[in-house]
Amino acid sequence: MSPIKQFRQHIDQYFIVASLIILILFFGMLSENFLSLTTLSTILNQLPSLIVVTIGITLVLIVADIDLSVGSVLGLSAAVVGISVVGLGLPLPIACFLALAAGATCGLINGFLSSYFGLPSFIVTLGMLEMSRGAAYMTTNSQTIFIGPDIQFIALPISNTGVSPALVIALMIVFIAHFILNKTVFGRYIVAVGTNDKAARMSGIDTKYYKVVVLTLSGLLAGLGGIFNAAYLGAADPNAGIGLELSAIAAAVIGGTSLMGGRGSIIGALAGVLIIAVLQNGLAQIGVAEPSKRVITGAVIIVAVLFDQWKTKKGALN
Amino acid sequence: MSEVLLTINDLHKSFSTPVLKGINLSFMRGEIHSIIGENGAGKSTLMNILTGQLYKWEGSIIFEEQNYSPTKPSDAQLFGISSAAQELSIIGTLSVAENILLRKLPNKLTFVSTSELEGKARYFLDLIGLEHIDASMLAEHLTLGESQLLELAKALAIKTFTECKLLILDEPTAALSGPQADKLHSIIKGLSDDGVTIIYISHRLEDVRQISDRISVMRDGVIVKSSSASNLSIDNMISMMSGKPFLGRSDRNDNQIYELDSILEINGITNKYFQHPISFKSRKGEIVGVAGLAGSGRTELLKALFGLSSINTGTISLITNDSSEVIKNSRQAVKLGIGYLSKDRKKTGILAGQSLAMNLTLPGLSLISSTAGIIDSKKELEVTQDFISKLAIKCTDNTQSIESLSGGNQQKVLLARWLHCDSKVLLLDEPTRGVDINAKHLIYNQLNNLRQQGKSIIIASSEIEELTNICDRIIVLSNFKLVKEFKKECWSKNEILTAAFQEFTTSKSVVNPQNISKNRESNHVSN
Repeated sequence: MSPIKQFRQHIDQYFIVASLIILILFFGMLSENFLSLTTLSTILNQLPSLIVVTIGITLVLIVADIDLSVGSVLGLSAAVVGISVVGLGLPLPIACFLALAAGATCGLINGFLSSYFGLPSFIVTLGMLEMSRGAAYMTTNSQTIFIGPDIQFIALPISNTGVSPALVIALMIVFIAHFILNKTVFGRYIVAVGTNDKAARMSGIDTKYYKVVVLTLSGLLAGLGGIFNAAYLGAADPNAGIGLELSAIAAAVIGGTSLMGGRGSIIGALAGVLIIAVLQNGLAQIGVAEPSKRVITGAVIIVAVLFDQWKTKKGALN
Repeated sequence: MSEVLLTINDLHKSFSTPVLKGINLSFMRGEIHSIIGENGAGKSTLMNILTGQLYKWEGSIIFEEQNYSPTKPSDAQLFGISSAAQELSIIGTLSVAENILLRKLPNKLTFVSTSELEGKARYFLDLIGLEHIDASMLAEHLTLGESQLLELAKALAIKTFTECKLLILDEPTAALSGPQADKLHSIIKGLSDDGVTIIYISHRLEDVRQISDRISVMRDGVIVKSSSASNLSIDNMISMMSGKPFLGRSDRNDNQIYELDSILEINGITNKYFQHPISFKSRKGEIVGVAGLAGSGRTELLKALFGLSSINTGTISLITNDSSEVIKNSRQAVKLGIGYLSKDRKKTGILAGQSLAMNLTLPGLSLISSTAGIIDSKKELEVTQDFISKLAIKCTDNTQSIESLSGGNQQKVLLARWLHCDSKVLLLDEPTRGVDINAKHLIYNQLNNLRQQGKSIIIASSEIEELTNICDRIIVLSNFKLVKEFKKECWSKNEILTAAFQEFTTSKSVVNPQNISKNRESNHVSN
């Protein structure tokens, strides 16, 4: 590969990261307080649940499916943590295990129904969105369950570092997922299945199995997001994660993931999450009102996808 | 015949490298003008310019004394230029009739009038020999051959709103059986008699020689020869296309080295296509040909062998040294060492948008990864480089995206998939379809090498010449029934064709096999 082409590829790959840095500097110039460690740490520690959910969504999009249920599954998982610790008096690790199991089960059901019964994942996960939200209300009696400091330590910065255990776990998962996607047979297979399901099957890949695994992973990660959410609030809120699936899809797409399957990036997805978060916090700090914030965020999503499409087209011509 | 319809002057077009390097060519009104050349010579690029699909180029094109520089396909249609492309553009979820008249759906106050639509479509369907197709059926239910004819009907339907002056046909017979191709050729002749100019692109050189008035040979982006068809022999054409003197057919080694052990045993299988049980064996070091007319079950048989369709009765078993395994699904087939090359590269072969390397190593990933499932990218690079040079795959490097390669090179990558896996049995469905002569020979030689290494190869093809050239044994399917098995050299094309027609003579299209085979024989003197 020629050095020029290599350089170009690096630019394409890191373009999204570069835009993120420019955005941070931009708000840093406009607002005095923005470029402080406290602000950045505050922003970052809000994000672990969105980060892990977005990783799940990105994998699902790569395999050419969609998962609309992640927000509700997150809510259900938070509810499971709450009821386990407060209602049943179980130790936190067991509560967390049950929450992860609940998330993975929802994902497994999504994957099983869409793969083996040939239902569109859009419809199956839309149904799951309703069901798991309902289940969250049932387990909590529609009340927020206060848990308190027993769980909050997960979301609070470790002394002097500004980084919470949840953020560390989320970033570790980012790197593991990135590695799996790019360096392993499993990652290669899900890209193949998402690109051309039939061709993948004819190469001897059990495409249904991989779709089920990916949707289960997405549920599992939503379950983890539920734990992080409960930790952040110090309480299990049955309304947690409403609309989160759309933020996660937006972040994945800003990060260069295609809705048509076969193309996506975990690092890009992380950058997508950060861009949305920096944009929202930055706009708030410089005094932009909530309605205008939403207009701007929406526009950024569209422009990012437009630009990405233009880039891909140009790449295909070369 | 003497009036010039279209003149191309010094046409240049580059992508990252120059593809057309100064094309000068004229087309007369009402002539059948064939353009031949290897894959990658620039034929498709030239046609894409004429049909308005590519528009940044240098030079000039004069159409009926007017300057012609289309920027979109509808510009070309307004000038009366229509094309039936190699890549099908049929919309599966619309009816056959809607596909034909998509550009100009007959309507009253925007409501499509179904009866008028289907009436008009009927005319074109009858014209191209699809009399048996219901105009209201969905296009996705057509076979590949029928879709190709539908593409032609679509091109002809331009007549309903403008006069068709130039018709471009890119590999129109690739998926057609002999009689269908003959029918197509008579339609083309009729059109040219009506004053329509035809640009005909095909790899079937004997067809080209028979139907063309004029033949132009392209090589590396220039026209190396343009002359009247009667002045060119097939050997001439081949040597001009390749730039080398014609070396004759694939230099095949006829030593009978194969062992008599069978490796794949098919015992009385039936499924939804095959009502009559099918049994045969393939041995190590042997190439078995599957012959038959279009729609006689060649593709369906290979799919069944690969475990892609469920079987009602009978078994398919792979025999190894000490055991025999029954094949139940494609995943297991791959695991046991069976490789499959489908007829439709785009739909079920390549991973479009992904790299050459990723396409090549897909089924054999376990060979270049650790037990933990981590891919060794160094090994992957080595493997792809190795196959790129072994099979002479034309590409910039192994990260190039697969769909930017020419059809023949894509096919080589797909073949390399199974060579990398070291498959014991290869099931190849039309492996040389739409592939140029040089790539064809390379594939033939490669198959012969594999045969000598003791692989078992089962190859389905619509070109009988191809099968008699490379096979050790040929089985003939006729209307989803295995009707005959020929041993090496105990065949004649006549007998194979007679067998292929055997089960069709009772259906409504009664064809005399004797006539057809004569016809075919003259059509396939060389390939």
